[in-house]
Amino acid sequence: MTPHSINRDVRGTHTVAALCAYLVLGASVPNTTAQESALVRLTTAQYEHSVHDIFGKSIKIDGGIVDPGMRENGLLALGSRKLTLSAAALERYESLARQVATQVTDRRHRATLIPCKPQTETAPDPECASQFIDRAGLFLFRRPATNAEVQSYVSMAGSATETLGDFYDGLGAALVGMLVAPDFLFRVERTEPDPSQPDTQRLDAYSRASRLSFFLWNTTPDAELLAAAESGALDSDAGLQQQIDRLLSSRRSADGLRAFFSDMLGFDGFATLSVDASLYPKFTKNVADDAREQTLRTLVQHLLDKNADYRDLFVTRDTFLTPALAAVYGVPLPRSQELGGAVPWVPYRFPEGDPHVGLLTHVSFLSLHSHPGTTSPTLRGKAVRENILCQRVPPPPGDVDFSLVQDASDPAFRTVRQRLTEHRENPTCAACHRMTDPIGLTLEVFDTSGVYRTTENGAPIDTSGTFRRQPYADVVELVPILRNDPAVTSCLVNRAFSYGTARMPSTRELSWLFDTGAELMDTEVTWRDLMRRIARNEDFYTNVFD
Amino acid sequence: MATIERPLRGPLICAGIVVLSVAGTSPSATAETRGYVISMIHTATHANTDTCPAGGNGGPVDIRTRRLVDAGFDNDEALRIIGNGGVDDNGTRVDITKLYGSSAPAGGQPWNGQPVSPGNVPALLADPVVETAQGRFAYGFDLDGQVSPDDFEDPDSHELGVDNHMWRVLGCFDVYRIRRPVVPYNESIVWDTAIDSMPAWLMSVSGENLDRDGDVTVTFDRSFNVLLRDAYGGVMSGATFVIDPDPRSHNVFKGTIKNQVLTIEPGDFSLQGESQFYAVLRFSQTQLRLQMDPDGSLRGILGGYQPWRDYYHYLAIRGESDGQVDLPGVYYAMKRLADGGPDIMTGENTEISAAYWLEAVPAFHVTTSGEVTGKSVGNGPKFSGPAASRLTTP
Repeated sequence: MTPHSINRDVRGTHTVAALCAYLVLGASVPNTTAQESALVRLTTAQYEHSVHDIFGKSIKIDGGIVDPGMRENGLLALGSRKLTLSAAALERYESLARQVATQVTDRRHRATLIPCKPQTETAPDPECASQFIDRAGLFLFRRPATNAEVQSYVSMAGSATETLGDFYDGLGAALVGMLVAPDFLFRVERTEPDPSQPDTQRLDAYSRASRLSFFLWNTTPDAELLAAAESGALDSDAGLQQQIDRLLSSRRSADGLRAFFSDMLGFDGFATLSVDASLYPKFTKNVADDAREQTLRTLVQHLLDKNADYRDLFVTRDTFLTPALAAVYGVPLPRSQELGGAVPWVPYRFPEGDPHVGLLTHVSFLSLHSHPGTTSPTLRGKAVRENILCQRVPPPPGDVDFSLVQDASDPAFRTVRQRLTEHRENPTCAACHRMTDPIGLTLEVFDTSGVYRTTENGAPIDTSGTFRRQPYADVVELVPILRNDPAVTSCLVNRAFSYGTARMPSTRELSWLFDTGAELMDTEVTWRDLMRRIARNEDFYTNVFD
Repeated sequence: MATIERPLRGPLICAGIVVLSVAGTSPSATAETRGYVISMIHTATHANTDTCPAGGNGGPVDIRTRRLVDAGFDNDEALRIIGNGGVDDNGTRVDITKLYGSSAPAGGQPWNGQPVSPGNVPALLADPVVETAQGRFAYGFDLDGQVSPDDFEDPDSHELGVDNHMWRVLGCFDVYRIRRPVVPYNESIVWDTAIDSMPAWLMSVSGENLDRDGDVTVTFDRSFNVLLRDAYGGVMSGATFVIDPDPRSHNVFKGTIKNQVLTIEPGDFSLQGESQFYAVLRFSQTQLRLQMDPDGSLRGILGGYQPWRDYYHYLAIRGESDGQVDLPGVYYAMKRLADGGPDIMTGENTEISAAYWLEAVPAFHVTTSGEVTGKSVGNGPKFSGPAASRLTTP
């Protein structure tokens, strides 16, 4: 019998059943002194990072994990608090758990990942199993496993070992159980009375560690952070500050930054991005992948390596390119790429006068917010309003006639600006389109794939517009206006807080977040400063819902 | 080759931010240099109903059948042997593959006491006298300056006196008895597989104003880089290529643009390749006639006198299965019809008049030090590159 079958036969069904019960009925894990207050599902990246950090990067995780989740108020992180776990997702988690457990206990890994050897490999060894489960439980559950939990998993390992006749297969079965436990798949945030305000609740130390770690590193807490939680250091200002500084000074903070902006900029859309290759043959799968990475690399370099102002991302000409991306941007890029080698990323600065300036002119933004076969000023403008400025653009009413907008063959309306102008004559549509279209129409000089153009259907593209009553001629003039808009900073501040806490800020919290944004704007809106300010605020470690 | 590449590639690994200006970076005083990369090249074919009056040489089955008949089998038995996978009526294996590639030497003929493939030593067999192409049209150029009854008319330019004996040799094999956009199978496959690993072939055009008629300079070079593919498996326009300074692949021609057609004054041409079919592509008295399309691409004919053994060698490497020609027949026909490059000692012609279809798309050219010497102008065609990819596009 294989480990796979033992997982199914011995404990597979009751694990899934337990998980379902936990999620649906709110059944409790073994007693702790803290109260459970919330569950936040791990993202795909967080799952992978956690497994790799706990068991090493040689553990392969094949294929996607689960659906990306649900976007709420502009962030997947906010949707992750919703308990949406389908039966298919549960099966996928269990399959992944078997995959991971098989590798952890195989001959290649057991010597380093299992801290002891059984007295015999063909019989249960509760003492050795207990050592492994106790240690793995600390990192998987992001808190010490309770005695009852350890005994439960040791018992599970023993039963499986007797059935299979192999200690490591039995231990693997127990590990599968831990990997599909709610305490691993979800960040179980427990609260405790706040000693300074006994009538209010705050996250317990281990939950604080988790929130901090996933916020700044996008992964499970490391040993030092868990130790700080155990010692109570995280409950003190000094201890908390020390850990925040440590995490922010680590190169791993790039993972946290990438995860946040992937969420804020809606990069999950790349998984389903469709660009019509017959119309845009340069837009290959590699270009799509590179486009996403280009923006993330630019963010990391700007915000971490240069410690530069967030707002300048909208006007910077510095970025990174690959040979394929350079072909899309229409710029020369000397390259040295060995066959079969990694894609060469080359630091690049668009020359003055080039229309590519800032994040909004990245292929990632332009392609993500287009239709597969045509651009969409509305989608692009909506993305700026919602993703960058945190404004809300209502969905169109159900009875809108889009035929005029979509008909590009009418010689009277050769450009989308002309078609949308007509469309805005409909008063029902006008209010929203006045918000979205000016910005989007300026970006019309970039087609769906991001390739620069000056005409549409033979007619010159008019890139002029007005933003916040400030007129501009083209995208190069638009982006500085956008850069200086206070909403750019306040949106970042609010999104960062919401992302880290997986909840919307309360009315009271909005007040200090507003002040934070204002203070940053007076100096510089730097990433580490913002992260530090949020992570040091006690509100960050609460679950207050308006 | 590696000894040339390695020291030159070092500086390309950019440590700093690349800031490149494409304006005013032409190597000479010319006002503009446009860069291109060759996206497709293959033997130019133009089959008509009058090309093969005797019916042609057929395809692989026909060639195998004829060979078995020559070996003493009757036609029906030959077909049965082929149909039975190389086994005759008595159950005896008949080696029908001995000419089908250099990978089957054990089945070949004895030569100097060793078994060899006659594909590599074709003179081991007698000349099967394959049918050669006739008719009015063939792509190419009047290379010898004479219009004779033996010459063709170019189907596009209608130039008379076209010398293209390569077409005569190949044009009656089914695999070449085609016309664009169909591409000779063998060359299509080789190009499609080679371009992902073969250094790209570059071309540039320099002149005062390339949108107008006038004199220009045309160069051909090899790159250090391979082609980039687009979403259809074709060749992506607008990519950047570093020029390999190896003089063996550096060619400069005086040229002319007239009515957006680019031509050159005849000269020697040589490009080092890294593929089975184009280990080297070389001509003497090279001519060129390319249409400069509004999308920035070039397409047309490259021709000249090509060492015929170059071409035969490429076919022999591929073997008769891939090449789908009768190798000894091609060998003898090329030898017989070679019409250029007489050997000083023997007087034997070593070259054969030939014409290739060529397509090139806009590309940036840069030197090993990062200087931009060729500008990519235009978005390029929607599709360009290996025919296998193009023909699968909607």
